[in-house]
Amino acid sequence: MKGKRLLFWFVVAVLLGVALSQQSPFQQRVNQAIQSGGPEFQRSMQQDPDQALCSQYRDRLPAELVPAFLERQRKLIKYPADGKLMGDWKKGEELFTNPRKGNCYACHTGDPREAGAGNMGPGLVGYGARGTSEAVVKYTYDKIYNAWASMPCSLMYRAGYHGILSPEDTAHIVAFLLDPASPVNANLKR
Amino acid sequence: MRRNRLYRVLGLALLGFALGVALTQSQQELDPYKEAERQRELFRQTAGILPGELYAAQGEELFYAKRGPRQVSLEACDFGLGPGKLEGALTQLPRYFADTRRVEDLETRIVSCMVRLQGFRLEDIKRDEVKALVAYVASKSSEMPINVVPRTSQEVAMYNLGRELWYHRAGDRDMNCAICHESYAGRKVRLSPVRSPRQGLSNEWPAYRFEADKLYTLQDRIAFCYESIGIRPPVYYSEPYIALSMYMLAEATKGKNRFTEMPGFTR
Ligand code: HEC
Ligand code: HEC
Repeated sequence: MKGKRLLFWFVVAVLLGVALSQQSPFQQRVNQAIQSGGPEFQRSMQQDPDQALCSQYRDRLPAELVPAFLERQRKLIKYPADGKLMGDWKKGEELFTNPRKGNCYACHTGDPREAGAGNMGPGLVGYGARGTSEAVVKYTYDKIYNAWASMPCSLMYRAGYHGILSPEDTAHIVAFLLDPASPVNANLKR
Repeated sequence: MRRNRLYRVLGLALLGFALGVALTQSQQELDPYKEAERQRELFRQTAGILPGELYAAQGEELFYAKRGPRQVSLEACDFGLGPGKLEGALTQLPRYFADTRRVEDLETRIVSCMVRLQGFRLEDIKRDEVKALVAYVASKSSEMPINVVPRTSQEVAMYNLGRELWYHRAGDRDMNCAICHESYAGRKVRLSPVRSPRQGLSNEWPAYRFEADKLYTLQDRIAFCYESIGIRPPVYYSEPYIALSMYMLAEATKGKNRFTEMPGFTR
């Protein structure tokens, strides 16, 4: 008697598990199409849960999902071991420019002498006018390390989270934007 | 014989191109549209012919030649308007074909005709030949209105699939097509202005890209964007290309866009 009841609940649990893990027929169809693109494509198209959420909501998260999203992204930010969030602006300049590293000129102006910078992101010429208070430095560091921690599904990619920039790299770029000696801030009155 | 002449002209054209590049080195920060126009004129003047026209001429030879194990031409290939009817064929592709029971774009259709009519094995089909054939068939739709309207259930399903891929964020650059080509359409990545499908995105392919000195089909161009956002592109003729093309061209149709000169000439 007891054994039978146990078996019953076991079967119910298994069925429930199967039902919950089932993807919708449309999602299965999408996965099938991605698979048809070959194993390398399929591997690169894998998503983390928040990339999937951004796709689901067409890059505009409903307000009620935003706080938890930001919280999850903030937890992904790592800081340099020595705690210094502002490094060497000269190293930062190289990382900012390098298309395989920051690639920041694709979307932002920076050094005003750099020709042909993109304009998808806000211009960063004279960014150092905000000063170097702890709040400004941290805001800038967090933005570069993980842009989604302040703006869900931003166009700006999460360079630190993906390991394209290390915490130290990120600090160098912060210096490139904020150090009064950086060419980004050459036009500001000292 | 005719092939040889073609290649000689092509060589000449490339020479003209090298000259063109040399001449532009001194100028900086050009308007990309004006620059394309200028490069095009340079070709016209130095070679008397555009590279896209050379590819199309090569494609024309391939189209009418008796080839493959069955030794027949591609004249019986139906692109949706009837066998051998090429005028405006590109404007209504991708579409559903009952004979293959698939939605096919121009490139996939050429390949399936080479297999079904000429008897080629899929693995023996050369990409360069498909590209030349694409250039030739497309040349018969120059400057025509785009007319891709998903009607059959298979076409609607392909459109929906394309829209899903369009919004699919992935890779270590966290990108999808929509964020650049919709949310930020009208802005620039470096010097390159980005368009949305409603603004006509994808209406210039196949095109000769002078920056790469190669003919790019729409599949090549989509692959190029995937590569630039750190995603390994799908294999040619696979569904992601057909789905994305269906989505972009159906949206371009809603925006009442035309194809440019075909094959196109662009950066
Ligand atoms: C693909 C385009 C793109 C790239 C590449 C990009 N950004 Fe951004 N960036 C944006 C956009 C869009 C915003 C505004 C939305 C936001 O805050 O996320 C932004 C915002 C910022 C801000 C905040 C500006 C402000 O006024 O508060 C900073 C700082 C910044 N980016 C720095 C960088 C740096 C440094 C890099 C290179 C590591 C970079 N960005 C790469 C698109 C980009
Ligand atoms: C980081 C931003 C970005 C992303 C993401 C992106 N593209 Fe592009 N795309 C560009 C730029 C820049 C160009 C070049 C524009 C030019 O020079 O005309 C371009 C060009 C194109 C073109 C040809 C240009 C035209 O006007 O016909 C097509 C088609 C295209 N992209 C499709 C896609 C598709 C499909 C995806 C998603 C797989 C995608 N792009 C993702 C930035 C992007």
